[in-house]
Amino acid sequence: MTSAEPLDKTVLELKDVRASYGNIEALKGVSLTVQAGEIIALLGANGAGKSSALKVTTGLLPPTGGSVRFSGRETKGERTERLVKRGLVMVPEGRRIFPALTVKENLLMGAYFRKDKQEIRRDQEWLLDLFPALASRAGQDGGTLSGGEQQMLAIARGLMGRPILLLLDEPSLGLAPKIIRGIFQTIGEINRTRGTAILLVEQNARLALTASARAYIMTTGRITAEGPSKELLENEEVKKAYLGG
Amino acid sequence: MPEKDGKDPTGAPLRRPREKGRGKKILLSILRPLKAGLWLSLVAFPLVTFKFEAETRQAHFLPERIPLLLLICFGAAVAFDGLGWLKKAFGPGKRAGGILESPPEGLNRPRLSWVNRLLKSRFFKPASGVLLIFLAVLPFISSPYGVNVYITALIYITLGLGLNIVVGVSGLLNLGYVAFYAVGAYTYAILNAQFGLSFWVCLPLGALSATLLGFILGLPLLRVSGDYLAIVTLGFGEITRLVLTNIAITNGPRGIANIPPPSLFGFDLNQSVKPFLLKLGLIHSRTDLDKVLIYLIILMAAILTVAAVHRLENSRLGRAWLALREDETACQAVGVNRAGAKLTAFTLGSTWAGLAGVVFASQISFINPQSFTFMQSVMILSIVVLGGMGSIPGVVCGAVILILLPEYLRFFADYRMLLFGLLMVVMMVFRPEGLIKSARYQHIYRAPKAGEGDPSDSASGK
Repeated sequence: MTSAEPLDKTVLELKDVRASYGNIEALKGVSLTVQAGEIIALLGANGAGKSSALKVTTGLLPPTGGSVRFSGRETKGERTERLVKRGLVMVPEGRRIFPALTVKENLLMGAYFRKDKQEIRRDQEWLLDLFPALASRAGQDGGTLSGGEQQMLAIARGLMGRPILLLLDEPSLGLAPKIIRGIFQTIGEINRTRGTAILLVEQNARLALTASARAYIMTTGRITAEGPSKELLENEEVKKAYLGG
Repeated sequence: MPEKDGKDPTGAPLRRPREKGRGKKILLSILRPLKAGLWLSLVAFPLVTFKFEAETRQAHFLPERIPLLLLICFGAAVAFDGLGWLKKAFGPGKRAGGILESPPEGLNRPRLSWVNRLLKSRFFKPASGVLLIFLAVLPFISSPYGVNVYITALIYITLGLGLNIVVGVSGLLNLGYVAFYAVGAYTYAILNAQFGLSFWVCLPLGALSATLLGFILGLPLLRVSGDYLAIVTLGFGEITRLVLTNIAITNGPRGIANIPPPSLFGFDLNQSVKPFLLKLGLIHSRTDLDKVLIYLIILMAAILTVAAVHRLENSRLGRAWLALREDETACQAVGVNRAGAKLTAFTLGSTWAGLAGVVFASQISFINPQSFTFMQSVMILSIVVLGGMGSIPGVVCGAVILILLPEYLRFFADYRMLLFGLLMVVMMVFRPEGLIKSARYQHIYRAPKAGEGDPSDSASGK
């Protein structure tokens, strides 16, 4: 498990990962890769194991088998906060901003492990530029924001950590279509301008497939389909199961 | 009366007919306090009507107390019910649950309470200067009794601010805080009795030993959270008291006496300095200079604590504590070492307790385990809750009220705990955020009244 192999462009690699909650096996051998600068979608119905896959990736759930490599190094036994420092940042499901902290403070929390004050300030300005809705509320408590603004804040907070790979867990959850479109546009922009790789976990399959380059589809703990998103959009089975016919 | 499942005449399927609702409401509002009163009298029945005599080991039934019991129980139930009504009428606006819609622009500015406004105004510096001079002069012009009370109040301010780091800022409910206070006090008492170490040496040592203990105990405590943390810390507080009662070096339940007050450059203040000051007419003949010195020391300590806690709260670490209280998962997602942040909060909180403990020991010159019961922990926690979680002026205010009030309301002495309980209930109903809300919690969104226009979601399309 040394870094003998050359540093390739693979940012994240899950190989035959298994994980379980007690007796229930949530992941029954999941393999996927994310290359540098890619947007990858991970799709599936409720309980398919998408969130478990994310938890294993971020070190919140210890895998019972298989291996997880992040930027060329095995993540086994590495604590979540260490992985964040290495550039693996998750934007958790359901927004989860800090309601009693102001928007600015929320952003500063995203740069918690960073010490470069100048750069932190620059990133803060960049993100407030990127999300003008947040800029006008910079001094306000996170809890007073609308759902869409909170999701933007959660993403912005994640970007404050200058991630190599950003994991987005259901960013469209409970938001109006118009706001979702805006957020997805910004996600694409971040990917283009900063080269941040993005692993997008979504239930909204059509949206995720339009936004991503490649996609994996999970069913009951296994990857059941994978390929370029365009092809999956045309795939009859996928259409039937996830795109409503 | 209409039928229970009667169709609404207006056709709105989910709304009940108004007139039926009203009759039922009145009936309920009568029944509710009656039920509560009945329950209360059943619970209190054996406590009030039976008297146990320890000498004869016999219980006596006292039926003549029943009317009194009923009166108190039903009275309390009605009063409590009235409290709910009062809250509806005069209490704070309901906080909208869940995710709030964006408030209209006009509501974006936080509405600060007058205390927080004062703290931010340009009058703050001169006002605090005047207050400081007043506080410094206070012990020279008050009675020895007064000075003693002020020392106690300042000790509790320090304790409250320390616990505020743990409970108010970081959200770790610590019910055994008094243990660290005890450790500070015993550090001074033992080191002085055994090795003759002076107050000034023991002050940092007491704080250090409490910090160390906080660190060691914090390690296993990180595995539990929420209610479990409260129970474990409660148990730990009791264990500390029992250890102090049962080991030789603390002299067990008899405690340690003759703890000397602090000295100033080796002078005995009351012997050498007092006559001089008296001649100058600067002090009263009854003034106890030892106590004045303790007062000034704890005043300095309290001021330093305020400054330190203020700095901490607005630091990177303080933000992490607040964030930890809000959402542990999100904290992990941004790379906060949860265990580390919790441990520093727990440990740093203990430091102030140790500091206050040393001063306490020098103030009363005799300590035994009875000075450090669970009630003390409750008292300190009450100060934080009453004053306002996470609010420095709130905690100061809470300590002053909870310590000074009982001193000046001596005639209530027997009912002190009862009044405390009542005060807490009233506080929780009317001001759950505490007397002086933390400036952080001032962004309460009040829904605009009908006709003022609906709050449109301004997030979209921006």
